[in-house]
Amino acid sequence: MFQRCLCIAFALFGSVAMAQTTPPGYPADYAQTIAAANKEGKVVIYSALDTKAAQPLIKDFNALYPGIKVEYSDLNSTELYNRFIAESASGQGSADVMWSSAMDLQVKLVDEGHALAYLSPEAGKLPTWAVYRNQAYGTTYEPAVFIYNKRLVTADEVPQDHASFAKLINTKVDKFKGKVTTYDIEKSGVGFMIMVQDAKYFAGMKELEQGFGASSYRVYGSTGNMLEKVSSGEHLLGYNVLGSYALVRAKKDQALGVVLPKDYTLVLSRVLFIGKQAKNPNAAKLWTDYILSQRGQKLIGSDVELFSIRNDVDAEYTAASLNKQLGANNVKPIPVSAEIVTYLDQKKRLDFLNAFKATLASGAAGR
Amino acid sequence: MPELTVDDLHLTYGDNPILKGVSLTLNRGEVVSLLGPSGSGKTTLLRAVAGLETPHKGAIRIGDKAVFDGAAGTDIPAEGRNLGLVFQSYALWPHKTVFDNVAYGLKLRKIGHDEVKTRVTTALEQLSLGHLGERFPHQLSGGQQQRVALARALVYNPPVILLDEPLSNLDAKLREEARAWLRELIIRMQLSALCVTHDQSEALAMSDRILLLNNGRIEQQGTPQEMYGNPESLFTADFMGSNNKLTGRVLEVRDGAALIEGDGWKLWGTARQSAKAGSDGTAMIRLERIRLFDGPGENRLEAGLTTSMYLGDKWEHLFALGEARLRAYGDKPIAAGRHWLDVPRESLWVF
Amino acid sequence: MRTATFSSIPRGLTILLTAAAVLAPLLLILYQSFLTAPFFDARKTVGIGAYEFIFADPDFWHASLNSVVIATCMVIIAVPLGGVLAFVMERTDLPGKRWIEPLILVPSFVSPMVLAFGFVVAAGPVGFYTVWVTEIFGGAPWGIYSLTAIGIIAGLLHVPNVYVYASAALKSLGSDVEEAARVAGASPFRVAATVSLPLIMPAMLFAAVLVFFLGFELFGLPLVLGDPEGHLVLSTYLYKLTNKLGTPSYHLMAAVAICIVAVTFPLVLLQRYLLQNSRKYATIKGKAGRMRELPLGKWKWVAAGLIGLWLFVGVIVPLSGITLRAFVSNWGYGAKLSEVFTLEHFQSVFDEPILVRAIWNTVLIGTVGGAIAVACYCAIGFATHRRNDGWSRFVDYLVLVPRAIPGLLAGLAFLWVFLFFPPLQPLRTTIFSMWLAYTVVWLAYGMRLISSSLMQVSTELEEAARTVGATRGQISRQITLPLIKHGLIASWLLVFMIFEREYSTGVYLLAPGTEVIGAQLVSLWQGGAIDVVAALSLINVVLVGVGLALALRFGVKLRD
Repeated sequence: MFQRCLCIAFALFGSVAMAQTTPPGYPADYAQTIAAANKEGKVVIYSALDTKAAQPLIKDFNALYPGIKVEYSDLNSTELYNRFIAESASGQGSADVMWSSAMDLQVKLVDEGHALAYLSPEAGKLPTWAVYRNQAYGTTYEPAVFIYNKRLVTADEVPQDHASFAKLINTKVDKFKGKVTTYDIEKSGVGFMIMVQDAKYFAGMKELEQGFGASSYRVYGSTGNMLEKVSSGEHLLGYNVLGSYALVRAKKDQALGVVLPKDYTLVLSRVLFIGKQAKNPNAAKLWTDYILSQRGQKLIGSDVELFSIRNDVDAEYTAASLNKQLGANNVKPIPVSAEIVTYLDQKKRLDFLNAFKATLASGAAGR
Repeated sequence: MPELTVDDLHLTYGDNPILKGVSLTLNRGEVVSLLGPSGSGKTTLLRAVAGLETPHKGAIRIGDKAVFDGAAGTDIPAEGRNLGLVFQSYALWPHKTVFDNVAYGLKLRKIGHDEVKTRVTTALEQLSLGHLGERFPHQLSGGQQQRVALARALVYNPPVILLDEPLSNLDAKLREEARAWLRELIIRMQLSALCVTHDQSEALAMSDRILLLNNGRIEQQGTPQEMYGNPESLFTADFMGSNNKLTGRVLEVRDGAALIEGDGWKLWGTARQSAKAGSDGTAMIRLERIRLFDGPGENRLEAGLTTSMYLGDKWEHLFALGEARLRAYGDKPIAAGRHWLDVPRESLWVF
Repeated sequence: MRTATFSSIPRGLTILLTAAAVLAPLLLILYQSFLTAPFFDARKTVGIGAYEFIFADPDFWHASLNSVVIATCMVIIAVPLGGVLAFVMERTDLPGKRWIEPLILVPSFVSPMVLAFGFVVAAGPVGFYTVWVTEIFGGAPWGIYSLTAIGIIAGLLHVPNVYVYASAALKSLGSDVEEAARVAGASPFRVAATVSLPLIMPAMLFAAVLVFFLGFELFGLPLVLGDPEGHLVLSTYLYKLTNKLGTPSYHLMAAVAICIVAVTFPLVLLQRYLLQNSRKYATIKGKAGRMRELPLGKWKWVAAGLIGLWLFVGVIVPLSGITLRAFVSNWGYGAKLSEVFTLEHFQSVFDEPILVRAIWNTVLIGTVGGAIAVACYCAIGFATHRRNDGWSRFVDYLVLVPRAIPGLLAGLAFLWVFLFFPPLQPLRTTIFSMWLAYTVVWLAYGMRLISSSLMQVSTELEEAARTVGATRGQISRQITLPLIKHGLIASWLLVFMIFEREYSTGVYLLAPGTEVIGAQLVSLWQGGAIDVVAALSLINVVLVGVGLALALRFGVKLRD
């Protein structure tokens, strides 16, 4: 007991001391931001990353800035957006920090003027595609992967690239009928976004979609459901699953196999920005800088089990390690850019959905 | 001044008229019974007086205070009328003790704790319930429950007490005792009571005056003796007491007497208002007025004995006269065959 | 007749607050359905675009058709089964009835979300039972994701709803009318066919309308079971619209909600009409008294077997599935349960402050919230009790309104109210917002509980108090309230269980501070945190179980 108290005392002492010093390389007036943030005393974060996963970050941030309480709520990405716009419209103020994997919705909010302009001192350490109008930042480097059931899919069947995935489900229809799963792109914004990117990079998209139709593929709103169903053997193959979650589960789950597609691997980045109506803008700035800092990114690449976006971080899951494994050219990050909001236009989105469905139907009819 | 005055009261349920202009008065220390068949409106009238039904026309006054006046728009709610009402079901509150049931009305009147205690105790003693104060209603017998209901209605000294079929929930034996006890109590305490009943013998025994209701109107009112002995209408005559009824044709009406003839019989009786020579009529006589004879005589009917019923204190004999049936009391069994039934002129009413 | 006036301020206030709580969300939804963007968006315009969109969307028509199919399926299955079950339970010498009775009602107290999830892990393509059966017989002859399967499961789970009404009707049907038929020479089965069943026909009809209508509001079951094959029903279509266009389409959702209300509200009114009719029938009831039980002979075991089978399919399969899933890390073909056993999921639940708060809030909303809700229902009950004026009739219809609005949408509307109605804003992120939505959504149910308690108080007891000088308020407090005390406690327990079970109302109200298990389950399920869903489901079932055990312990009748 005594020992534990002592530890806390040291931790407090150390962190208070740290909080007073401006991190190296930061502008000189950063101390004022810290002081103002300490005065604000808390930061309200809406995030699509569940609280449990975010816990190491919150703890570490608290160690760094013990005077700032983190009020963290996890919501699914659409709810996050809904809540943010509704709360903003009601004038009650909303989150200080918005942090979501729905990159398109985040960019849309920035475009509509909901974000506070803030150039993070860490911005220079990020890839240029991850910094948007000095308001929003890509914070992670999460690949979209294939998953399969190790017990029921033989090693030679496991598809290693997009083309072989398409070929497999088009040829072994009997085995994979009703056993292929991917995102429901009508339900999941993230799923939709990845599928749009596939259409950009993958020439055999039509064959793939027909294969989905032919194998009567099953769709879900989230990666978790797909992992569950593939692990249990209800489905055998999963397409475009969020790799960070899949790799975490695969470590503990003997039934689950994960493939990083060899031809190209799409990479998503969780986008973070500070709300324009933020009541605690300075604390929000500290959180932003912390998440982008080497210290925060190292946690993201290790304990949090997402992928660090920075190249100068040494951890298990990093952009660097991924690029090394797949070849930097084969990794296709989805840029935080104005382009990704294209399909938030109702008409374009419906056109894409209808075309997608039509191809599925033709695939199903072809059998 | 009467304690209670009801003046031309009309009351309707939806399109269904229940009371069609009823008037009555109740004087201090008087017991008035509302008598009538079911559906005659007697209970509705009592509830209207209590304030539990809302008439649409007429007036109700308690003392000189109008509690309802259709024309003036006055309608004092039940809780403001300060009446005592004893329900047919007694309606004792099952969650309160006997004492609390009785005390409730006093507590509502903001009477001090000590006085409540004295008055409730007195009331319970008066009704021989002194030892039952701590009991709950379900622990009491029917007769005791009735007395609690009465104590509850009396304890705050209402000017008028309303009784809705007060004896009907008691079994036959207890009922007669309770009737006597209740009459005695009313007299002793000088209560002014309005009492609803469908039992004519109860009404006769209990009341100073009886109001006979028929289909929302007062058919006749008067003292029990008047009602029984001098009914103005066939309905009243028929409702009060056990009767023999013969239908026939009125031949002659003279000096207050009427001659009526039926299938194989002809009798003289007293002519009532509705009797008209040359029209159809009904002859009626109370069972106890007929006497049996072995031979013919004036105003006697010859009839064959069908059967006899033993009633304990007397016999009731059934006779057939053509299609008609006649009943008469006797103090001994009689032989089968023909008998002569003596019908006194003054006791036979011709309507 | 008394004129329609407020005779007291508390009464007026009660009616006013009820009207506001019921009508504000509905009107907001109606208004929203005629806009082209969220009502708080500056770019909104008024128009019927939302209706045009959904009527042009083939998914809407598929969903409507599926809703009709499922609702019909439910009626076809639940009504005859419920009727037969009621007859067997009320009129025959079936062994072990005392034990079967509470079990029958279990499906109506467990969250459909939980049951649906239980079916997936128990009887899905690789469910525990499916795997066992496949290992033994080489195949399992069922599937649970097809539209028919959803209809059948929904039908089986709604048998209790029919059973409750049918058995109540049979109970109130005095044995004397049946005995009269027996004495006149009719055999027991003939009595059932020619006397008992025709006499409870109105109740059966009422139950049929109820089940059909519940079919239209079904959410949890099709959400979980309809997912794999993409079967949409109206409520899941509505839910899907949250995302279909990339950004929330509140106007479309509101338009769908109005379409649902357009179907359900007439059904609610029809139900009310039928209920009044069946009450007319009920007045011919004869003397209470136990009818001699019909000897079933060897059919006894057939009946017991069928009831057992139904309970097995409807209760034991899903609940055992969810229990197993809560204790394993993975499952399906090739997974050995002994190897994958874990307590980690519960650890995760209790490690996560939000989930702990959700459990705590759920307990709180059921106990304290349930008590306050019952108090509110009671206040409304007293505002209309023994008064036959225009306001009472208004309240009678008012309390039916929330019944017709799907809980999902009611929750969303309440979120809007809490966001944009300044006096309520500070309460939005407190459990109060959830409680208010629950209380309004279950208003009709609660009022039925309260009014059946109030009906048991004889009019004369209250009139007696009036004549000794008590005012309405005094009567309510000093006579009626103490008399219905037991009924209120029973209502509280029932409301507790309903509040523990509720899930759809909270979906949109979920916010830091308002977490409850039901809504959290939907959210976690959407997010795919299946491990936690299983553990949390089991915790939810345990909470309901505690309520059920208490109810049985105190002899609460599990139906109104």
